[in-house]
Amino acid sequence: MELKYSTIEGKSKGYKTLVVILGIMVAMFIFSFLISYLKGQKVWGISNMIPWGQLITFYIYFIGLSAGAIIISSLSYVFKKETFEPIGRMAVFMGILLMVGAMFFVLVDLGRPEKAWRLFMYFYFNNMSSMFAINSIFYTGYIILMLIYLWLIFEGNKKLAAIVGTIDVLWAIAVHMGTGAIFGLIGNREIFFSPIKPFEFLLAALTSGTSLIIITAAATFKFTSRMIEEELIFSLSKILKIIILILLIMVFVDKLTHIYFPNRDATLYLFTGDYWWLFWVFQIGLGIVLPLILLSYSKTKRTKKGVIISALSVVIGVFGERAALVIPGTAHPQPFVSAKIEGIWGEPGIFKITLWETLLSLSIVSFIILLFVLGLRFLEILPNQTNEPVSAKTNSIIK
Amino acid sequence: MSRWGMVIDLDKCVGCQACIVACKMENNVPHGSPEEQKLKREVNWHKMITVTKGKYPYVRTELIPMPCMHCDHPPCVTVCPAKATFRRRDGIIVQYYRRCIGCKYCIVACPYGARSFNFTSQEEKPYHRKDEPLDNNSWEPWPFPTRTQGVVEKCTFCFHRIDKGLKKGKKIGTEVVPACVEACPSHARFFGDLDDPKSEVSKLLASRNSFRLREELGTKPKVIYLTR
Repeated sequence: MELKYSTIEGKSKGYKTLVVILGIMVAMFIFSFLISYLKGQKVWGISNMIPWGQLITFYIYFIGLSAGAIIISSLSYVFKKETFEPIGRMAVFMGILLMVGAMFFVLVDLGRPEKAWRLFMYFYFNNMSSMFAINSIFYTGYIILMLIYLWLIFEGNKKLAAIVGTIDVLWAIAVHMGTGAIFGLIGNREIFFSPIKPFEFLLAALTSGTSLIIITAAATFKFTSRMIEEELIFSLSKILKIIILILLIMVFVDKLTHIYFPNRDATLYLFTGDYWWLFWVFQIGLGIVLPLILLSYSKTKRTKKGVIISALSVVIGVFGERAALVIPGTAHPQPFVSAKIEGIWGEPGIFKITLWETLLSLSIVSFIILLFVLGLRFLEILPNQTNEPVSAKTNSIIK
Repeated sequence: MSRWGMVIDLDKCVGCQACIVACKMENNVPHGSPEEQKLKREVNWHKMITVTKGKYPYVRTELIPMPCMHCDHPPCVTVCPAKATFRRRDGIIVQYYRRCIGCKYCIVACPYGARSFNFTSQEEKPYHRKDEPLDNNSWEPWPFPTRTQGVVEKCTFCFHRIDKGLKKGKKIGTEVVPACVEACPSHARFFGDLDDPKSEVSKLLASRNSFRLREELGTKPKVIYLTR
């Protein structure tokens, strides 16, 4: 069966209100960015002890979502599984948008964003032993590859799309493992330092990406009164369950390596310190345990509601996982000497959630959602409404 | 080429923190408000950590001065994406503010907490050394007084003094020393060429027990402490 795609009309009241609200949020971006640029980053919650805060958390989170989305899209374009075709275009489109969002986050987080071009003067102005510089190659190539991939899919050139898709999936893996290496290679921070970190990042990317696709597919298909095949959601949920299991093993092995040998202070701080809830409630509870229970329990695993709730909990949980890496990872004081340090930075740092940083991240998130909503309007991303329409057509808010 | 290093004799150190004041005066480092210090946002080129050893009746407090360690294998230089921090041929790790993009990766990677992010723009202050006027036309990384917010700062081993001293043909380590060494009232700090066996620092290292901080990381710091 050949699937045909169409745009949404975008004439309903709900659609227009959504665009206006998102537009206002995007305007807030300019405001909050100017404030933090002119006043300095003191308006954020970061300090010399915790130099990376909310924006870097969002940055690695978005890259993860992007890589996950691209890898899921390969199911339909590389592995030719017809079940996944309705969400294929959406997944690639989301991959591009989320990557653009991630780039915004990291650009805004720089102290002097106007000098960011230095990162792209390969081998001349930048230091190629830095993971940031290596990643800048990965990221540029990744965005270009994804654009070619999406264009080929729109053109209907399936053979070439499969080839580019394969490269793109491998590239996405490299992108996200490179992002994991930003943290995994830092030898002086106990929570960061781990050879398994890139793989952990990759699996977290897959879980969050799959979950986000489940949620977005369910939401857009519902609001545009399209039929989503239950088979699609359930096969995605099966994949999700397996990846969460592997992620659990990875997290277990990573933490076990750190807790086994006596120099376990930082890991104990992660487990019991100020940010214990980020690890136990978000990363383990919402990111792993709750979805595993929901996806294994016979009453919830074959219902749409159960799958969507577990996907939501994974999306929130993986965000918590990123935060549980970035913030406690640097908040734990470094052991300059092997005795109790009282004076400068002996005690763990505290990260404060501040207005401007939150506004900045929320506005970038709404920018991405706005691009997505506009993309649905102008690009043929969603499959035609030829499938049996949903019975509750009156429910549809956006047409 | 010489390899500059610093030796701090903890036995002689009285913990007066004159080195910190001298550093702040010499390099126009902002002293930081109490709020900033509470939020850990003050700029520290040279900091002093307080360490307690033992339990209540038998407690000892030590003050350990910590400038940048100027490692021979510096993790900050490896991670800097913009070549903003680099190791000079004489072993000093320099931060070049004109190149720094403010990604803060070096702060994360530094095992000694020697780097600080500049959260606020600083006022221009007159250079307090009338005898060595500032060369504003220089494009060297020497930053004073044109520093802006949004970049990372660190101790420079007062390389402006060393460079000027070398040009004038003065002896480094005796006639010309970094500000913190000059200010030390108990002569606990020594500066000199670690590669030169005749220098004072080499002689001290050969005669006394010494240690470096976090040696297990293999960064090979060039600030070396003599034991108490």
